[in-house]
Amino acid sequence: MPPTDVVLDLAAAYPEIGVLRAALARRDWFACRQAIDAVPLDSRTAMIRVGADEPDLEGFLRDVVHRDRSDGAAVAMLGSHLITIGWGIRTAARASDVSEEQFKQFHEWLGRAEEVLIEGAARHPRDPAVWSVRLTSALGLSLGVAEARRRYDRVAAVDPHHLPAQRTLVEQLYPKWGGSWEEVHAFARDAMRAAPAGGAHGALVAEAHVEHLTSEVKVYRDRSAAGAYLRTPGIRDELYEAARRSIGDPSFRRTYYWLQAASTFAFVFWLMEDRAATAWPLRLLGDLATRYPWNQVHKDISATVREARAWALEGTA
Amino acid sequence: MIERFEVDGIPALFTRTDGPTHAGLAFRVGFADEPLSRHGITHLIEHLALFPLGVADYHYNGATGDEITYFHTRGSEADVVAFLNGVCRTLQDLPLHRLAIEKEILRTEERGRGLSAGDLLAVNRHGARDFGIGGYGELGLPGITPDGLRRWLDWFFTRGNAALWVAGPAMPPGLRLGLPDGVRRQVPRASSALPARPAYITGPAGMLAWNAGVRRHAASSIFAAVLQRAMFRSLRQESGISYTVQTDYATRGDGSAIVAATADALPEKSGAVLGGFVDVLASLRYAGADPAEVTTVIAQECDRLAEASRHGALLPDQIHDLLTGAPVLDLPELIAAARAVTPAQVQTIAAEAWADGLIMAPQGVRVQWAGFTRAPYRSTHVVTGAEHPAVGGAEVRLIVGQQGVSLAGGEDDYLTVMFDQCAAMLAFPDGGRRLVGYDGISVAVEPTVLENAGQAVPYIDSRIHPDLRVDMPARDPDEIPQPPSPDDDDDACCDDDCCDNDCCGGDCCTSDDCAGECCETCCDDDCCPNDCRDGDCCADDGCPGKCCTGLRGRLRRLRSR
Repeated sequence: MPPTDVVLDLAAAYPEIGVLRAALARRDWFACRQAIDAVPLDSRTAMIRVGADEPDLEGFLRDVVHRDRSDGAAVAMLGSHLITIGWGIRTAARASDVSEEQFKQFHEWLGRAEEVLIEGAARHPRDPAVWSVRLTSALGLSLGVAEARRRYDRVAAVDPHHLPAQRTLVEQLYPKWGGSWEEVHAFARDAMRAAPAGGAHGALVAEAHVEHLTSEVKVYRDRSAAGAYLRTPGIRDELYEAARRSIGDPSFRRTYYWLQAASTFAFVFWLMEDRAATAWPLRLLGDLATRYPWNQVHKDISATVREARAWALEGTA
Repeated sequence: MIERFEVDGIPALFTRTDGPTHAGLAFRVGFADEPLSRHGITHLIEHLALFPLGVADYHYNGATGDEITYFHTRGSEADVVAFLNGVCRTLQDLPLHRLAIEKEILRTEERGRGLSAGDLLAVNRHGARDFGIGGYGELGLPGITPDGLRRWLDWFFTRGNAALWVAGPAMPPGLRLGLPDGVRRQVPRASSALPARPAYITGPAGMLAWNAGVRRHAASSIFAAVLQRAMFRSLRQESGISYTVQTDYATRGDGSAIVAATADALPEKSGAVLGGFVDVLASLRYAGADPAEVTTVIAQECDRLAEASRHGALLPDQIHDLLTGAPVLDLPELIAAARAVTPAQVQTIAAEAWADGLIMAPQGVRVQWAGFTRAPYRSTHVVTGAEHPAVGGAEVRLIVGQQGVSLAGGEDDYLTVMFDQCAAMLAFPDGGRRLVGYDGISVAVEPTVLENAGQAVPYIDSRIHPDLRVDMPARDPDEIPQPPSPDDDDDACCDDDCCDNDCCGGDCCTSDDCAGECCETCCDDDCCPNDCRDGDCCADDGCPGKCCTGLRGRLRRLRSR
C-alpha cells in the first residue's frame, strides 16, 4: 500500500530546518548559526534562504549584522529576507498584472537588499550564500545574464557545483529573463555532468525540461501532449541520464535538494508513463512530496501525488 | 632637484637634466575661467600665439586645460630661447588677421576630437560653468571679437600670472620674457550641479566611466593606482568582462583632486562591467585594499616619481601647483608623502570617492540598485507667462515669463532656463534660439514650430545680456524644425502590447519575440544616451526599441519632421 499522507512541509524532509525555524522564532541567532554551520555549503545556502522566508525578521537580522559585520550568514539571510519582502509586494503575477507602484516598491526592497549584499560581498568575497542571494536580487532587478554569470562565477570559484546558485542561474537563463532555452539546457546538462555522481544536480535537467514544457504545453489541460514532449528522443535520453547520475546512483543520499530531485523525476517519469522509473523516486519519497512541479497539473497537489502513487506503486490506472 | 629662479619677474623652476632642453611657459588660465558664451577664447589665444612660429625645426606645442594654459618646447638652448621669447612677443601683438581662420581650425579640431566620457562627466558634475566648461564644445568662438581677446589677454596673460619651467643642462641665457604687469588670478571655485551623490548618467553601450572628488593627498593618488590594479584583476583577469581599464588622478588648485576611472566592455557585457566595478569599489571601501598591494603601489609610485624627476617630468605638475597657490613639493617630499600612506588612509579615500561618485553607466544598464541617483536632467520648476504651444498638436509648449523661459511637456516635465542663470544664448539667423542655464539644462526656442513665437524671440533677446549672446552661423535647413504635415504618422514609437514579463519603469523588452518594443509606461529617456535631447528612438544594440517619450523625445520628433 502506498502511503496515503502527502506531506509537503520541507522540515519533514530536512529536520535541521525545523531547528532553524524554532531558533528564529525565539530570535536566538547563536542557535541559528549552530544549525546553519553544521551542514555542508549547499545546504547552508538553502537553509539561509528558507530561514529568510520567515516573517518579520528585518529588525532582528539588521541588529545581528550591526553587531557583527563579519557574520556572512546573517548578511545573506537579511539580504534574502528583504528580497522576499519585495517579491511579496510584486507577487508572482505576470508583469502586465503588476502595477507601477508595486514594481516601484519591489525595486526599492531589492535595492535595500543589494545595499546589504554589496557590503556583505565585499567583506565576505568567498561566501557562496551571499553570492547566491545576489543572483536572486539580480534576477528581480533585471540586471541581465552577463551580470548574473559574473555573480555565479564568484560562487563557482568557491564551490564549483553549488546547486542553490545553479538553480537560480538556470532561472535567469529562461527566455523571460533575457536568456534562451538553448542556454538553459546547455547549462543544466553541463552542471549535471560536471557534478559528482549521486548529487541532486540531475534535478537541474529535469526542472529545465519541466519549465520548457510548461511554457509550451498546458499540462493541466493536455497531459498526453506533455508526455509526448518529454518522450522526444533527445529529451528522454537526457532525463534518464540525469536520473541515473543522481537519484539512481548508489551514492545518492538524502542530502541537500534530494527531496525536490526525487519529486521532479517522479513527476516527469509519471507524465512519460514509465511506471518503473516513476516508482523508484516515489519509494524514496515515502509520504513526502513537493508542491512543484505537481502544482502544474492541479491545485490539489495531494490528489495528483496520490494518483501517481496508485498508478506507479500499485499498478492501478 | 628643483632650483628656483626668476626671469623678467616671472617665477621659474629649473631641474638639471641630460639631453636637450625642455621648457614651458604656463599661465594660470584655462577653460574653468571662461564663460560658456566665450568658451574657446583661451584655446584661440594659444593657437594665435603659436601661429608666427610656423614650421620650426624643433618640437613645440601648446595646451589649454581647466586651470592652466602652457606653451612648451624641446630643443637646443637657442631653440628654446627663440620659442619662449617669440611666444611672449606674439602674446603682446596677436596676429588678429588670423582670427577667422584659427576659429575654423579650432572647429575642425573639435569635430575630430568629439566629446569624451570625461567631458560628459564634467558637464553633469558642474553644469555650464567653471569646471564644467571644458566638457562643452567651444561654442563661444563665433562671439569672440578682437576687443574681447585683448581684454582676456590683459587679464590673464601677464607677468604676475605666469610661471616658467626648464629642464636641461643649464638655464639658457638670453630669455626675454617681456610681459605686461598683472596679478595672479585665483582658481575659480568648482560648482556642483549634482544635488545628490553618488549619481549617474547614461552613456554609450559598452563603456563605463566614473569620477569622484576627493581630498588632495598622497593617499588619493595611491588609491587611484590601487583602484586600477583592482579593476584590472577583477574585470579583466577574473571575469574577462573588460579589456581596457584605466584610472587617473588629477589635482585642482582648490585643494581637491579628481579620481577618474574607465572600463570598456562588449555591449552585451555592459551589465557585468557595471556590477563588477561597483563590487571593486565596495571591496576597497568596506574590506580595504590588501596592505601588500598598497605597499607595491607605493613602491611603484616612488619609482615613477624618481624616474620623472630625472627627466624633469615633474615640472609641469610643480608649475601647476605654483600657479594655483599649492605648495611646490620636490622629489624627497613627494616620496616621503607617498611612503607615509597607510592602507587605512586608502580605505578612507575609497569611502570618500564612493560618496562623491558620478558614474556614466553603459546604455541600457540599470544602476539605481547600487545606490546611484539619477543626475538632474530636467528642471524642478516652470515659469509662468505667455504660452506658445507647438503647432500640429504635439504636447509641448514654450512658456515665456518675466524671469525666464520653459519648455513644458506634461506634469513635472519641464526644461527651464532663468534669465539670471543663463550661461549662453545661441542665436541662429533663422530666428531659432538656444538658452543654456548654469545647471546645464537648455531650452530650444524654435519659432518655426511654435504659435506666435515671432513676438517671443525679440523679448527673449532683450532679456539676455549681449555678452551671453553667441551669433551662430546659419544652420543646415534640415536642422531647422518644420511644422508637421497632416499626413504625418504621429504614432508613438513603442507600446507595451507585447511586453509580457517584468517590463517596468526603464525596462527594455529584449526577449526574442519582442525585439524592438518597449513599455509605454517606462519609455522616458531613462535608458537613452545622455544626448537624448536629440532623442527619437534609440535603435542602439544595447537598447533596442527604446525611445524618448519624455519632453526631449517629443522635441526631437518635432525637429526631425
